[in-house]
Amino acid sequence: MSTAYQPDLQKNNLKQYFQFRELPILLYIIVIIIIFSTMIDGFFTVKSFENISRQITTIGIVSVGMTLVILTGGIDLSVGAILSFAINIGGQGIVLGWPIWLVYTVMLALGVLLGFINGFLITRVAVPALIITLGTMNIYRGITMVITDGIYITGIPSSFQTVGYGFIPLVFFVIVLAFFIFMTLQTRFGRNLFAIGEGGQSALYSGVPVNKYKIISYVLSGFLSALAGIILVGKSGFIQPQAGMGYEMSAIAAVVIGGTSIFGGSGSILGTFLGSVFMGIIIAGLTMLAINPFWIGFVTGVLIIFAIALDSLRQRRKG
Amino acid sequence: MIDIQGVSKSFPGVKALDDVSFTIEAGQVHGLVGENGAGKSTLIKILSGIHTEYSGTISIEGRPIRFASVHDAQKQGVATIFQELTIVPELSVAENIFLGREPVKLGGLINWQEMRERSVEALSFLDVPLSPKTIVGTLSIANQQIVEISKSLVLNSKIIIMDEPTSSLTEHEVKQLFLLIGRLREKGITILYVSHKLEEIFEICDTVSVFRDGKHVGTKKKTETDRDDIVKMMVGRSLQMLYPERTGKRQDLLLSVKGLTREGEFEDVTFDLYGGEIIGFAGLIGAGRTEMAKTLFGTVPFDSGEIILHGSKKLRFRHPSEALATGVAYLSEDRKGEGLMLQLTIKENMAVSILKKIAPRFFVKNKMEREIINSYAEQFKVKMVSMDQVVESLSGGNQQKVIITRLLMTESQVFIFDEPTRGIDVGAKYEIYKIMNDLTMNGKGIIFISSELPEVLGISDRIFCMREGKLVKVFDNAEADPEKIMHVLTGGEVA
Repeated sequence: MSTAYQPDLQKNNLKQYFQFRELPILLYIIVIIIIFSTMIDGFFTVKSFENISRQITTIGIVSVGMTLVILTGGIDLSVGAILSFAINIGGQGIVLGWPIWLVYTVMLALGVLLGFINGFLITRVAVPALIITLGTMNIYRGITMVITDGIYITGIPSSFQTVGYGFIPLVFFVIVLAFFIFMTLQTRFGRNLFAIGEGGQSALYSGVPVNKYKIISYVLSGFLSALAGIILVGKSGFIQPQAGMGYEMSAIAAVVIGGTSIFGGSGSILGTFLGSVFMGIIIAGLTMLAINPFWIGFVTGVLIIFAIALDSLRQRRKG
Repeated sequence: MIDIQGVSKSFPGVKALDDVSFTIEAGQVHGLVGENGAGKSTLIKILSGIHTEYSGTISIEGRPIRFASVHDAQKQGVATIFQELTIVPELSVAENIFLGREPVKLGGLINWQEMRERSVEALSFLDVPLSPKTIVGTLSIANQQIVEISKSLVLNSKIIIMDEPTSSLTEHEVKQLFLLIGRLREKGITILYVSHKLEEIFEICDTVSVFRDGKHVGTKKKTETDRDDIVKMMVGRSLQMLYPERTGKRQDLLLSVKGLTREGEFEDVTFDLYGGEIIGFAGLIGAGRTEMAKTLFGTVPFDSGEIILHGSKKLRFRHPSEALATGVAYLSEDRKGEGLMLQLTIKENMAVSILKKIAPRFFVKNKMEREIINSYAEQFKVKMVSMDQVVESLSGGNQQKVIITRLLMTESQVFIFDEPTRGIDVGAKYEIYKIMNDLTMNGKGIIFISSELPEVLGISDRIFCMREGKLVKVFDNAEADPEKIMHVLTGGEVA
């Protein structure tokens, strides 16, 4: 018999916000910073950290949505396609001279709509999320290419670039992070998300509205992809149909490197933040070392496999 | 001859086999009977090489053996036909018979001709008109079983173990199987026949061994025993001290179920549940009790019939959340698959069904949550270091208490407990019975499903016997006894 029961009233909120799971990735970040700082002159400077912070924000915001979906035991391969769809189709409004608030509203609404389609299909059709979103990824991209005919939107009014100045993208990222850290840890929504990912049938039998929350997670993923798209437009000053290409892989990498289980039910938004910081530093370091950019894909792939292998080892040891 | 001496096997929290010793004579059909959880399957799994860790010795023909794997057991002459057949549906009869040990020609090519000839040989010995070229997936379950038996013949098995072989066969197919078993016996093959259907045991076996609570109760020649004697051996045990006194008093009508039917699962089930009452559902595996319970909870739909709460409110739940909100709670028999979220904490597991209460406006009220959980955990003696502990680290009995606490917190009126004591130790069982009794003191009604007759008798006020999807008989606790119930459940005449 284990230790007798003791009343347990003190709160452990600090511990809750910073679970043990994130410690290794924090150490990796420190190690990688030390390595790059010794190898590259000018790596350990404010300028280069500003660059990194600007780079990680778009994929970082997408990764937050991806985390929510993966926590439920699902996956969303269509994030990059939704981003592109939202800014390209919504961007037609810019061409027509719509006001900025209307264009932004349409872009975000498109993200929500496409996310809802994903969630609806996944909960109604007995096909894994991987396959459904692989399908919708191609459908969304296809529609985008047909409608835009592959043509860039340029000459965007400067008001659209406000969200892309200096540290403003980072501010958006931090707000999204804070909001969803709170959502996952302190709300009914968060509790249900973890229960669905870990429990499956157990969550259903506990009375959790499983399908409803799955749909919500895909809707949020779509919304955040569109938001990332808006910031991307702000940073680059134009809209291209190929935007967000490969974002799904980078986002999955940030999520799993951040310690969220690809099998669902455990992980954190904070971990995903650290995961995207880690990825951002690696990519910046490799770029500054003037290594062929094609190696970045290679490194991302290796890191994904490594992180998932670690996770699956952890699962097996427990199971 | 198989000689089993002092064999014991433990799983965490349960002693599945406790110092079992007996002998199986060569060339006989030897029956193995016992209630669910009596230890039959554990013994078969040891004999077939699945469980390799156990204490005690087993010898065949005086030679001590210890199988390292199923493959090893087969090589040494022991083949097992499991309830779940191990055939590959896409392959032909001959390919299945020789799966993993295909005869080869020089150069490693498969000798198809030899394979076909020897398959025909085995099949004609069994006197079944099957072609070796037929794809097994197209055959009936009975014929697939014959393919498995042919497999053991080709292996030159001396001993064939059959685990509930008739569970998916029609009456006619059962007769065919018995003819076939007769032929195997004539060939000098020893057969260990596991079943809970006593008529079959008496029809086909020469000798019967009875198991109960992991112990071997006795072995008798068919000619020296009868049905009543075997039933007594299966269930006989003192009921005192194991169960708390029933102090709940029957109150108003709570739940009425009328003519509830789900095609192929259960049919025309009608019963009433009163507040303060525990009604037990006895039955063998596959009697339809769990399916019926899930219908009440809303995870399985029903075709016809009515479920009425408090005499007027008709229920037809489409989701468990509706059932829980209305006051019907269900504890699944599958603790891991349909109960716990193993990697989450005790707190998260307990609070998951009352999230609307602890987070009325979306945000979790941490203090309120902790207070509720603490008060329940204290009241029901959940042994934990902290409520932030992961549920997986608890013992089986405490895990079960976590789910029960979750259900109690919903303050439901009707509780359905499906095998609540499966796989947990005696002490924890007693505490669960006590929680059930306490619930009835507060006017709740409990539907108690269990495959262990003693506990059904020990705690239920009325006992409903289900067989093949039908309610066949109801006993008041006072008039019920294990023999009568087992008689009804195993297909005896209903008086």
